[in-house]
Amino acid sequence: MSTERLRLVLRDLAAAAAFAAMAISGQVPAWTIALFFLALVVALTGRRPLADGRLSAVALLLAVILLYAAVMVEQLDLVVAACITASLLTAQRMLSRPTPRTTDQVQLASLLMIAGGAVLSADLLFALCLFGYTALAVLSQGLSVVAASGPGPFPSTSRVFRPLAGGLALAMAGALLFFVLFPRLSWNVAARRGGASLGGGTTGFADGLRLGGSGVLKSNPRVVFRARIDPDPGTDALDAYWVGRRYDTFDGVQWSTRGRPSPPVRQVTLGPVEADLVRQEIDLLPAYGSRTLVALDAPVFLGDAESHQATFTVRTELIPSGDREVRLLGPSEHVTYRALSATDRAGPAPIDAAEKARRLQLPKYIDPRILALAGTLSEGAVGDRAIARQLERALQTGYGYKLELPGRVKDQLADFLFDRRQGHCEDFATALAVLLRAKQIPARVVGFHGGERAAGEYLVRAGDAHAWVEAGVDGHVLRLDATPPQHRSAAETGLTGWFLARWEALQIRWLDRVVEYSLSDQNRLAQRFRGGTATPDRPASRKAGRGAGVALGVLGVALLIAALLGRRAAAGDATVLGRSLQRLLRRRGRLGPGGWLDGAPVDEVELLPVREGIARYREARFGRRPLGPGEARRLVRRARQALRGVPSTSPTTPERPASRA
Amino acid sequence: MSPRRERLLRAWRRLWKPPRRLRTTPAGRTYLVLCFGVGLGALNTGNNLLYLVLGLQLSIIVASGILSERCVRRVEVRRLLPAAPRARSPFHLAWGLRLARGQSFALSVAEVHPVLGVAVGRLAWLPAGEELVVRAVATAPRRGPVHLSAIRLATTFPFGLFVKIRDVEVPGDLLVLPGRVLPPPEPPAPSSGLGLEQRSLRGLDGGGDLAQLRELREGEDARRIHWRKSAQLGILLRVERDAQPQPRIVLQLDDRAPAEALDGRCEELAARAELLLARGAEVGLECTGGLSVKPGTGAFHSHAILQALARAGQTEEAG
Repeated sequence: MSTERLRLVLRDLAAAAAFAAMAISGQVPAWTIALFFLALVVALTGRRPLADGRLSAVALLLAVILLYAAVMVEQLDLVVAACITASLLTAQRMLSRPTPRTTDQVQLASLLMIAGGAVLSADLLFALCLFGYTALAVLSQGLSVVAASGPGPFPSTSRVFRPLAGGLALAMAGALLFFVLFPRLSWNVAARRGGASLGGGTTGFADGLRLGGSGVLKSNPRVVFRARIDPDPGTDALDAYWVGRRYDTFDGVQWSTRGRPSPPVRQVTLGPVEADLVRQEIDLLPAYGSRTLVALDAPVFLGDAESHQATFTVRTELIPSGDREVRLLGPSEHVTYRALSATDRAGPAPIDAAEKARRLQLPKYIDPRILALAGTLSEGAVGDRAIARQLERALQTGYGYKLELPGRVKDQLADFLFDRRQGHCEDFATALAVLLRAKQIPARVVGFHGGERAAGEYLVRAGDAHAWVEAGVDGHVLRLDATPPQHRSAAETGLTGWFLARWEALQIRWLDRVVEYSLSDQNRLAQRFRGGTATPDRPASRKAGRGAGVALGVLGVALLIAALLGRRAAAGDATVLGRSLQRLLRRRGRLGPGGWLDGAPVDEVELLPVREGIARYREARFGRRPLGPGEARRLVRRARQALRGVPSTSPTTPERPASRA
Repeated sequence: MSPRRERLLRAWRRLWKPPRRLRTTPAGRTYLVLCFGVGLGALNTGNNLLYLVLGLQLSIIVASGILSERCVRRVEVRRLLPAAPRARSPFHLAWGLRLARGQSFALSVAEVHPVLGVAVGRLAWLPAGEELVVRAVATAPRRGPVHLSAIRLATTFPFGLFVKIRDVEVPGDLLVLPGRVLPPPEPPAPSSGLGLEQRSLRGLDGGGDLAQLRELREGEDARRIHWRKSAQLGILLRVERDAQPQPRIVLQLDDRAPAEALDGRCEELAARAELLLARGAEVGLECTGGLSVKPGTGAFHSHAILQALARAGQTEEAG
């Protein structure tokens, strides 16, 4: 690929990365994406159909007028309109005649798109796009500047890229330092948060839980919410049950819930707020597609909810809805709230007669074999608690776990219990609840299990959605889970799942440490450097040292890379050639005491390429005759070929003398 | 002022003179406007990603400064002046560039001079250890000595946003000879006293008067045959002439004339001197200001006269 072509390809790819930074926000219209993609493909094939550019400039002007007309009538967001304008301008310039001026225009318009992406998106993908854009733009712009600077020998692209790579590393480190240290004194005149990333909600609490669905959700690694728990459980994998909505009505096919919403309030108290409660700060992420709040089992308090919108953060009211369910009022794309939960259920939990009747109700049609099975499985157990535990154990041990289920059958429950004898958590929970009800023990189906530690908090994934059972035994609530323990949390999904899980964890860190970075974080950082705060488990000086170490390390690595690249460029190919030749000679046992060829006859024709290589090395290194592009590689190749044809003087590498006289 | 004091003064001035200068390109200006816009947006919205973009933009400026400094810092430059530049005629300015180690990109070279500075030589890449010569076409509007104090090295590498400029002090002088004009049609007037001095030297094949006729010898040039006399006598006779007299002309110049008139007169005399020298005359020059060139012939002498004409009446540098 010629240098000119390479520079244009890099430029166009940089523009594509900048466009992607906007497009990942999901707010750019599809027609803009299609148009830009088309322009990119045409540009990458080397065609420039808008060489003249006048007609397209007029069309562009018209499009801009239309866009801003749409803004005026409130059909389009102003930022989105600006982003579309930048992308149209970039596309038009990409397809124009490639002059240094158009290249500059493409780069600057791409920068506008990057800025637009920063406003529209808060996704980790933005970081990748930003990095991609910066790297590609730096390389293409460097090549453009050298190409446009006039005659003379044109260097190989690798020679141009070396200092540019050093500059890129330096720019990245500088950007990081600026980001961390620049005081966040925002006027907040037009605050705007990044929107949701690609893909909407994946899981949550639906109005109904229908049997027969496949268990693909179990292998979905998207993080739906995260929680900071106090006191910190300290374990990597959280073996905890999360509660949101409880399903107490089963019609044979689907579980549903009944509840009458109450007036909205700021805080909801579900039980006595005592001393030993687990405090949680929960962040419902866009992947969580429900308005029902979740908390560790059993929640006693929910409140201080804030809904983070694109342009503002607002306190959200909560609606207590029926059976200990709390819902959000308004949108729930990104919500934070606090919750308190009681860890033990020592106290009695009395229920009224109507609720008890609902929890005991069996479907209108129920396979008689199920009632018989309830009796069989609970045989020998005395008391409700013993019956419940025996039924739970019987299902855990007698039935297999399987996510891939056959198509819909008439009676899912009977099919699971008597024919298939395999199923996932919904089947297990439903079976246990129905069997308990058959034994006159009130039961219902509940929600999430698990949590994976990341950055000091716990991430709960879509795959952690889980169904388990609450039974009313002796006036107390008994948690029962018939699903085999190893299948309660998210399923292992191989390399892709592993990658996605890591990605999500990274995304959380990105949101925490970059998107939400604030003046208070800067204060904390400054205090750490001063060694101000200390926590019981980690002394302040160690924390300060670590923070400083990381910052200095990043800077040091960047400077080292820049220095190495610069040094490598300065040393040129001559040193590389010399080392390669010496290595070759050493391997073939022809390395003489002087560091070069041994005492071979000067007129040995086969060794001429080697001698030529050595001579060129000396000229290039000391004689001010630099090597041409690719010359070092050529010389080494020829020397290698020559040495292959020459018998080695010693079969192995000569031994070093043990001692010197 | 004593030399020591002058040195100290120069050192003091150098201390306050910035070692490099920076100029923004049109793209650089737009880039700075974008930086300002993004910064304003970041402050307004508190959007951290805008702060990140702003940090990157500002770091790019810093990286640009460092890389461009690496390009111009170690370059050694020497001036290769043209031998006989003429006023109003294009000539080549050349500079030899050399780099001990590293490499430089996108270099431009020019003289730090109000007139000759517009001629810019460009070089895409300067590798280490090799001297490359960069040329630029320049035109001096007037004759006379031009004092060159420094050579300006500049680069737009790496991003074309800024031009990093380094002035290398390389003092030198360029003498611009009078411009080329058509010689005046009238014959040269002999100057008083020293004017036309004729010599009557007899030669064999001169271009002067007829001296004698003699028989043509074998191997002699047939073009010398006098055909009429040969036909009359029946033998081939050849003509022998006196050697042509070489006029000795001393051109007079009143160098107290106003500058423009003097320039015109110098160009006229230069053209005349070149014509006369081409015809074989011995040409000299005398100026009223005391400058003089003894009569002589040949290309070297021609250059001496032109140089004298370039310097005539010059109290300050041309250009």
